[in-house]
Amino acid sequence: MSYFDAIFAFLFIPILIVIYNIVPKKFRPYFLLAVSFGFFCVISKFLIAFLLLSILSIYLITNKFTKIDKERDEVLEKTDKDNRKEVKTLFSKKKKRWLVLGILFNVAMLFGFKYVNFFGSNLNYIFDLFKLDVHYNIIKYAAPIGISYYTLQAIAYLVDVYNGKFEAEKNICKVALFLSFFPQIMEGPIVRYNDTADQLFEGKSVSYNSFCFGYQRVLYGFFKKFVIADRLNIAVSMIFDSYTTFSGGILFLGAIFYTILLYMEFSGTMDVVIGIGEMFGVKIPENFKQPFFAKNISEFWTRWHISLGLWFKDMIFYPVSLSKPVKHLTLHARKIFGNKYGPILCGGIALFCVWFLNGLWHGAGWPFLFYGMYHFVMILSGNLLEPLIQWLCTKLHINRQNIVYRVLQSVKMALFVFIGEMFFRAPTVRQGFVMLKRIITNFSFSSFKDGGLAILGIDVYDLAVIIIGVLVIFVIGLLKERNINVREEISKKNIVFRWFIYYLLIFSIIMLGAYGPGYIPVDPIYADF
Amino acid sequence: MKKNVLKSILFVIFFVVITEILTYVVLPGSNVRKMGMIKVATYEVLGEQKNTIDVAVIGDSLVYSSLSPMVIWNEFGYTTFDCSNPAQLITESYGNLEAVTETQKPKIVILEANELFRDDKHKKLKYKMEVLYRKLIPIATYHNNWKNYFMYGSKDNWINIYKGYKYITKVESGKSNYEMTYSSKKEVIPDKNKEYFDKIYELCKKNNIKLVVVSFPTQISWNYKKHNATETLLEKYSDVEFIDLNTVDLGIDWKKETKDEGGHLNYLGARKVSTYIGEYIKSTELVEDKRGNKKYASWDEAYKKYVFYSNNQ
Amino acid sequence: MEKLIEILEDLQPGVDYENTENLIDGRILNSLTILSLVAEIEDEFDVEIPTVEIVPANFNSVKSMWALIERLKEEE
Repeated sequence: MSYFDAIFAFLFIPILIVIYNIVPKKFRPYFLLAVSFGFFCVISKFLIAFLLLSILSIYLITNKFTKIDKERDEVLEKTDKDNRKEVKTLFSKKKKRWLVLGILFNVAMLFGFKYVNFFGSNLNYIFDLFKLDVHYNIIKYAAPIGISYYTLQAIAYLVDVYNGKFEAEKNICKVALFLSFFPQIMEGPIVRYNDTADQLFEGKSVSYNSFCFGYQRVLYGFFKKFVIADRLNIAVSMIFDSYTTFSGGILFLGAIFYTILLYMEFSGTMDVVIGIGEMFGVKIPENFKQPFFAKNISEFWTRWHISLGLWFKDMIFYPVSLSKPVKHLTLHARKIFGNKYGPILCGGIALFCVWFLNGLWHGAGWPFLFYGMYHFVMILSGNLLEPLIQWLCTKLHINRQNIVYRVLQSVKMALFVFIGEMFFRAPTVRQGFVMLKRIITNFSFSSFKDGGLAILGIDVYDLAVIIIGVLVIFVIGLLKERNINVREEISKKNIVFRWFIYYLLIFSIIMLGAYGPGYIPVDPIYADF
Repeated sequence: MKKNVLKSILFVIFFVVITEILTYVVLPGSNVRKMGMIKVATYEVLGEQKNTIDVAVIGDSLVYSSLSPMVIWNEFGYTTFDCSNPAQLITESYGNLEAVTETQKPKIVILEANELFRDDKHKKLKYKMEVLYRKLIPIATYHNNWKNYFMYGSKDNWINIYKGYKYITKVESGKSNYEMTYSSKKEVIPDKNKEYFDKIYELCKKNNIKLVVVSFPTQISWNYKKHNATETLLEKYSDVEFIDLNTVDLGIDWKKETKDEGGHLNYLGARKVSTYIGEYIKSTELVEDKRGNKKYASWDEAYKKYVFYSNNQ
Repeated sequence: MEKLIEILEDLQPGVDYENTENLIDGRILNSLTILSLVAEIEDEFDVEIPTVEIVPANFNSVKSMWALIERLKEEE
């Protein structure tokens, strides 16, 4: 099952909406919850038990927080001023213990499903190295769908309630729906409770307008996936599977193709997800914001998979960098390196944690860890070099707002992203390095001499469709970057123009979609994380 | 509200009209209009040029996963076509044969044997839906033909690369060293199927076609009971040959050459079956080698594409 | 307030801090700069900024930063 299943998008969703509108408003959230659980079971069957455990744990613990707060207030009323501080710390310690328990419980489930085998197999290497007669037996099992996504949401919910951002929810079904809403369960975005929960539970009927608007967004996602991503898939698998036979220039093309494919697949899925949310009157936060218009790689990551970046920032980066030991370290570092570099170096510790975990989150494997470390190095060095570059620019009288400078900056950023994604796609870190080496030492397109485009498994028509498709997406992105909302602009036009655009979109998917004989669709890449 | 309903209806009407127009554009066969689109969509073979097919292979999923016409073309120069759908019933096979004889003059028809035992009640809904879907929304199956338009222009020159075959690279190992367990019992052939087999036989006779019944390799759908029942049925038809490939040693490696644990062959197994059937066609001396014949240049072109696309998978 | 602007000027010169209202949302200050800023503020104004308070709304403008500092001082 995938969100790009025609049966899901054009049969299941409309039927669901009709029933949803018939159900009395009060019961609609419960209906959505039932559907979401059903959806989960279709994919992961009895593994839903783990989702339920997650829901139950965060529900109970957050309500425990409320209880502790209440008890504290009662005790505080009875104590005199001098002892108040003591009472406060006593209760906050108690609260913290529950928080840690909740986080550990949820992380343990995630860890158990995703990382035990990875660590096990690496332990085996170590055992072998020391010739120890111990062995970890690798067990094969499937993880519950979306565990990487809903676990992060669950943890954020615990932390947010703990911090008093909002009160603990008393209706367990509302928490459950927030965690398991079916369009989000497979690939996110990772939203916070205050982003969607209230809207989800409102039970607004699906109106004609929200239905049409939602479907437009869904179709836009279909376009990205079927017309561009699936068509690129042939060439990408060709290049990465038999990388030894291609010259460097083509391998580099493979890195670019894969980055585009990943963007189209993932952001296309988000279009479908957000579109479905829109139909039900739920504004799911955007997960992409024209990432390729970023100035540097650090900004790129605030525009690509936004929800994951925000989660890491709030849950890892600030808590780590503002924790007592790190703060202490910062104080020392500032004395030695000054106010500018001191905090950066200590922020580096937090940044390391973020990117280490980010790599690990994407999957248990060395390529992903390498990918995380690659970005850590890139972003940290970018920050360390910034003052130097600034100094150089003032000395050489370079205007950093200059269009040439901006373009060069973007090209540099894109280059880093392509290389990063190449390591992400390569099955082993070694293959990534072999490819990189060939790109640097043998940058030529000589392989094309052997058979033209055919060596990539595509023909000139495929290439034309890819180029036109990417251009369309690029122009729409450019307009968005200039704060022109394309959808609103279209909706202002007359009906003939509007319908022309819609039919153009629909029939370009039907006619130019890379499905049917000869094409293998991309698997939902981010559903595996 | 009323306005929105009207708008929706209008939108759907336009959608259907445009779909029909585009379907007409991408459906193969220059005589689409005359024959009706649904028919062309149902019977892929109608997209072939007139009187070019030597051998039609008719049956269920075992056909399109076991026999690759392009392999036979490359090795022997015979033109074959797979006329098959998942879980095809013999009644549907009769329709296929009618469609074939409408535009083609085949010398041989190969009828897959397993379908003799299938009746409508036991056909899974999934397969019924699949066939219906292809019939009702042919554009989903044929949309990639827009490339054909750019490459070859007129529909007369279009190329069907797979000729009904489904190229499958998936491997899911079956039992190794498989051999059918012997039995002397007989499976029951439903009366209606017997009746339709007779109709197929008569239609072949009328068109001067040699009818051959073949059981394609499978570890799951075929057994000795079916073998015996088929033999008994064919006693009445002395001029119909029966080849049970499940009793012939084709050297199939069931570890690597099946896509679904022995249920069907993948492309590796299909290569072996195709070669065997090619040899058989040769032995009948009814069909000539058409390689190098200008009229059949499109088959050479199709083979080139076949190699190209199959390398991608 | 002047002191705060001075700190900001020192960390990242060339920004009109008095009139800018989207320091975070406009990506003028990145997360590493925020760290330096937090350290400086804690040092200079003798307050402790908890993690919960590090949200865009509190750092988008000098005014909101100042409000945060005042509030934290009161809570002490």
